Amino acid sequence: MPPRAKEAIIDCDIHQRFKSHKELYPYLSKAWQKDIDEFGLRLTTTGSGGFLNGGTGGFREDSYPADGTMAGSDLPLMREQLLDYYDIEYGILTGQDCSPVSTLPNADYANAIASAYNDWMIEHWIEPEPRLKGLALIALQNPNQAAKELERVLDHPGIVGALTQAGARFPYGQRFYDPIYEVLNDRGMPFVVHTGGEGSGWNGNPTPVGYPSYYIEARQSRAMSYQAHITSLIFEGAFDRFPNIQWVFIEGGYIWLPTFLWRLDSDWKGLRDQTPWVTRPPSEYVFERVRFTTQPMEQGEGPKSLLQIFEWGRAEKTLMFATDYPHWDFDSPEQALPRMPEELRRRIMSENAREVFKLPVRTTEALAAD
Amino acid sequence: MEQATTERASTRTREKHFVALLRDLPPGSRKIVSIQGRSIGVFNIDGQFYALKNSCPHQGAPLCAGRIKGTRVATKPFEYVYARENEIIKCPWHGWEFEISTGRSIFNPHRVRVQTYDVTVEAQEEPDPSIEMYPVTVEEGVVMVHV
Ligand code: FES
Repeated sequence: MPPRAKEAIIDCDIHQRFKSHKELYPYLSKAWQKDIDEFGLRLTTTGSGGFLNGGTGGFREDSYPADGTMAGSDLPLMREQLLDYYDIEYGILTGQDCSPVSTLPNADYANAIASAYNDWMIEHWIEPEPRLKGLALIALQNPNQAAKELERVLDHPGIVGALTQAGARFPYGQRFYDPIYEVLNDRGMPFVVHTGGEGSGWNGNPTPVGYPSYYIEARQSRAMSYQAHITSLIFEGAFDRFPNIQWVFIEGGYIWLPTFLWRLDSDWKGLRDQTPWVTRPPSEYVFERVRFTTQPMEQGEGPKSLLQIFEWGRAEKTLMFATDYPHWDFDSPEQALPRMPEELRRRIMSENAREVFKLPVRTTEALAAD
Repeated sequence: MEQATTERASTRTREKHFVALLRDLPPGSRKIVSIQGRSIGVFNIDGQFYALKNSCPHQGAPLCAGRIKGTRVATKPFEYVYARENEIIKCPWHGWEFEISTGRSIFNPHRVRVQTYDVTVEAQEEPDPSIEMYPVTVEEGVVMVHV
């Protein structure tokens, strides 16, 4: 056993799965069940499923349960390998199998799947394990339906935000999405984007220049999609229109952030009169209202190079730790990050996420009561 | 007896430690042992024995639990050649590949490597109290790792 981490750790990206899609059936009407029996769930992720992945079928080789079921589908194994092993204070569930709901052609089916997933997550993961918190999956085809779904589930104490994928039909600052943001803004809850879905279904291509050939290329499109969403949020005035929302971008990298913001700040000086409601340098909005996760953390040219980027990116506010368990590119809480000053590490490992997701410190009494 | 050579035979004195009876480590099998607080994986690959430190130089995953495989060897663009079956172990976390016989990584053999240890197969001469549960004949032999 490794030495136990003595610090508080909030893991912002844990992928839980079902053993069979039939686990969703109790939460789906017969009408949808019939289609699924005949045609499957019809959910494919980046590039309509044509790309390879890494590890063993996309997962850490040791994360498959002994009974031969899917990695991530077994709560006792997740406790053993992650929650207990690293003494995780909270883990944020980001799902897997249902995440591409927003790529489906039928808005009603997409909304039914999102809704079933949310109920399944609450019953199978959040209620049995108090360390796990969930994000409510939404289908973006029809934002009014998505808003209703959020109103239905956001009051559950284990739900700490809304979740969607990076791939989209158009960027997330546009007014099309306003009904969703109104619900989140009323409650002061975050809008969380997880990488994936680029080039699937009716979403745009994985890169602005079309489809690449290989998985390693598709992975690099994450920064491109996130930059497109973030510029949209800035110049569509979303931060001022919805002052109580924070936007979280998971698994799309962080080290590109400072240079991207330098470019935006420079351009804005001469172009600001085209979007005059953007009254401050773009970087200021981002530092205040956008958060990123660490995994997969680059090694850079050694710790100094990363610490310099952390300083430029205001990591003490903007960066939150994530393992991505049980995916193959899992980051170990003990070894993934460079050595850094204690206070900065505390912000990244737990406190930034505690603020975004409003998670109380788990006291000894709370732990004893679990 | 036959010795599985590694390129990193050290001059400092190493002690031999019991790993398994030869018959309990047939070709294609492996055993993870703990020696002086160090976790070590011992492999029988087609009758040759190898030992690697069970900790990946990247983020410390249990490397020796990884898959033993071949790989797509370096080729000209758009040629896909799978070769070197059973010569490579792939880390169970992020998939870094290492040559089992030398511990050298495939992506940077000179700078990224995992510690290897010598393995010998020897006749069991003296009865060893720690393994007296297993009656051993001279022909059978025992697998020892040098740490
Ligand atoms: S820990 Fe082995 S490849 Fe990362």
